[in-house]
Amino acid sequence: MSQLGRVKQWNTFARCWHLFDAAWQNPLECSPTIEKYLKGLNKPIYHPLVDCGDHVVVINSKQIAFPGEEWRRRAYFHHTGYSGGATWTPAWELHDRDPTMIFRKAVYHHMKGNLFRRVVMERLHIFSDSNVPEEVMENITNQIPPLRSIPKTLSSYSKEEIEKYPKIIDYPEDFILSKN
Amino acid sequence: MLTLRTTNRVLKVLKTAQKCEQSFHRWLAPTLRELKRRKDIQGPEKPVHRKTFLEWNYDTEIYAFSKRLGEEFNNDLLQQALTERSYIIREEERQKNVGIEQPTLNLSDNKELVSKGSDFIDDIVKRYLRTVLPRLPEEGIIGIHKYLTSIETLSHVSFHIGTSELILCAEFPVEKPTLSNVLKSIIAALIESSGDSRAALFVRDFIITQIADKDLHQFWEPEEPIKLLSEILARDGIQSPEPRLIGCSGKNTILACFRVGLYTPDNKRMIGLGFGETVDIAHEMAARDSLRQLFGTLDNILLPFNLKLDQLCASSVKNLFLNEWSQKTLPFRPTHFELRQAKEISSN
Amino acid sequence: MVFTTAIMMVRSRGPDEFWRKRKIFKIAAHFSGRRRNCYSIAIKAVHRALQFATIGRTVRKTDMIDLWNTRIKAGCEEHGVEINNFKDSLSRCDIQLNKKVLADLAIWEPNSFKALSDLAKSVAIDYNLPGTEKYDKPSNVITRGLLKK
Repeated sequence: MSQLGRVKQWNTFARCWHLFDAAWQNPLECSPTIEKYLKGLNKPIYHPLVDCGDHVVVINSKQIAFPGEEWRRRAYFHHTGYSGGATWTPAWELHDRDPTMIFRKAVYHHMKGNLFRRVVMERLHIFSDSNVPEEVMENITNQIPPLRSIPKTLSSYSKEEIEKYPKIIDYPEDFILSKN
Repeated sequence: MLTLRTTNRVLKVLKTAQKCEQSFHRWLAPTLRELKRRKDIQGPEKPVHRKTFLEWNYDTEIYAFSKRLGEEFNNDLLQQALTERSYIIREEERQKNVGIEQPTLNLSDNKELVSKGSDFIDDIVKRYLRTVLPRLPEEGIIGIHKYLTSIETLSHVSFHIGTSELILCAEFPVEKPTLSNVLKSIIAALIESSGDSRAALFVRDFIITQIADKDLHQFWEPEEPIKLLSEILARDGIQSPEPRLIGCSGKNTILACFRVGLYTPDNKRMIGLGFGETVDIAHEMAARDSLRQLFGTLDNILLPFNLKLDQLCASSVKNLFLNEWSQKTLPFRPTHFELRQAKEISSN
Repeated sequence: MVFTTAIMMVRSRGPDEFWRKRKIFKIAAHFSGRRRNCYSIAIKAVHRALQFATIGRTVRKTDMIDLWNTRIKAGCEEHGVEINNFKDSLSRCDIQLNKKVLADLAIWEPNSFKALSDLAKSVAIDYNLPGTEKYDKPSNVITRGLLKK
């Protein structure tokens, strides 16, 4: 192969690194998007047998969100292999133990089970907060837009902003908002 | 209808009856196996020249050969072109051994034809390359010419137009230098039989087309492209280009990929783009890319293979050498598009 | 030279055991273990393999269609067009490129594919197809609607 052909090939199959902020995102909703980048479904050269997927770095996985009763109702099953070794861990408990586990499992279970699944999962890097090692951060060249907009919490408003906020009524002076 | 059906049925029965006659014999497979075993013991068969076969007719084969090529050959010349010196020497010795004092063979060898054909091929190939690649430096022309006239290429062509069995020479199987010599002498024979223009078409169709679909810079790669590019641009009064990193992915991994663009400092125009696993390689590839653009040898160009002898430039004309190459002093030659247009106008 | 093998294989139903079995062994040549060497095991494996082959002939077609769709979708995404709008617009322009050709264009002719996606965008805007609010009108495409205005 000529020199030009070699670098062309190298450029075509170059791996990109994508950043995804998981704060306030539902992992079950995110997994199709993450899978798309991990498998290389976003490239026209995609083929199931060709290793053309990208890396995805997921940050803030501690701050993922589940709808409704999901934290309490969703149970993660594990079996040790011995009799009576089955355990069902609720999502909130699993998340307490390892904040990256729910996200990883969501992506893993979304993908079709074949011999490539574990190889593809190796390209998913999950961090529970935004403290990402410098050498990983330097690789990143793209950001995946968040699927849901992040709501602004009351605590993030400053006192002046709260005072400036338009009011409908004024409480009477002797009205007690809270006991203390 | 009924009669038709009955006849069909009768025919079917007849057919099956015929098949039954060709039954297989139980002895067939063991016999074949035994034959195979004996054959294997004897080892692989030696290659046999076609002339040892009973129905071999050399004159007919030569006639068919010239007709296959679609050319008009002088039969004696073609015969001479296919005769090697080694064959004549061997035949003479054989006759002496038999007892003939003064062996007479009405054969002459192809030595003169080879040198004539070789000169003709050199001339046509160079002129053709200079016509279709007017911007390529002379070094590149020499490199491609060297590839096209190498023994490897010529023997490949010669073998595949079917000369190997027609050559009269001492050795068997025919060696590569002999094959390439015979191709040269065939072209010389063609010059004398049908004229220069016909022979030029032959060279174009069989030899020059060997570079089709190949990367031209695999035959000639300029050394130190970054330095060379800045020298060439300096001759045109352009400052040496400025490399910029325009993309990278996976910087800290072993699969890192960098893209470097070369920009001219004055008008900020991109003149080359390269990629590679390190910044240095990408920079070098960018310089090579801009050289390709200057020399008109991008990897997606389509070379015209439809020029005739009168459309080629003269043999005395040469391309610029690398040490004097500049865009201002480029020779003016009609490009192949203009040549094609001129041809269409003249035909109308 | 006469090659008898091919002729024997065609008619190998007859009494000669060798040729009858040879046909099966030939199909089982790439199997592993006893499935390629022992006839009674080989014939079962061959029957099974031929059944799979029959199914595979239809599955292959759907697999290829899926692959082409994925590739076209990826190409559309690069240029910011929805695949539904892309297909719809191309058919409205009477551009009769099939999935295979579109997928090949997306890989080997990215510039041609970009031109197609630009065309698709502007046609989608002209016909006011659903989901066209987010498209910017490409400046390099002139459609009939533009000429009228």
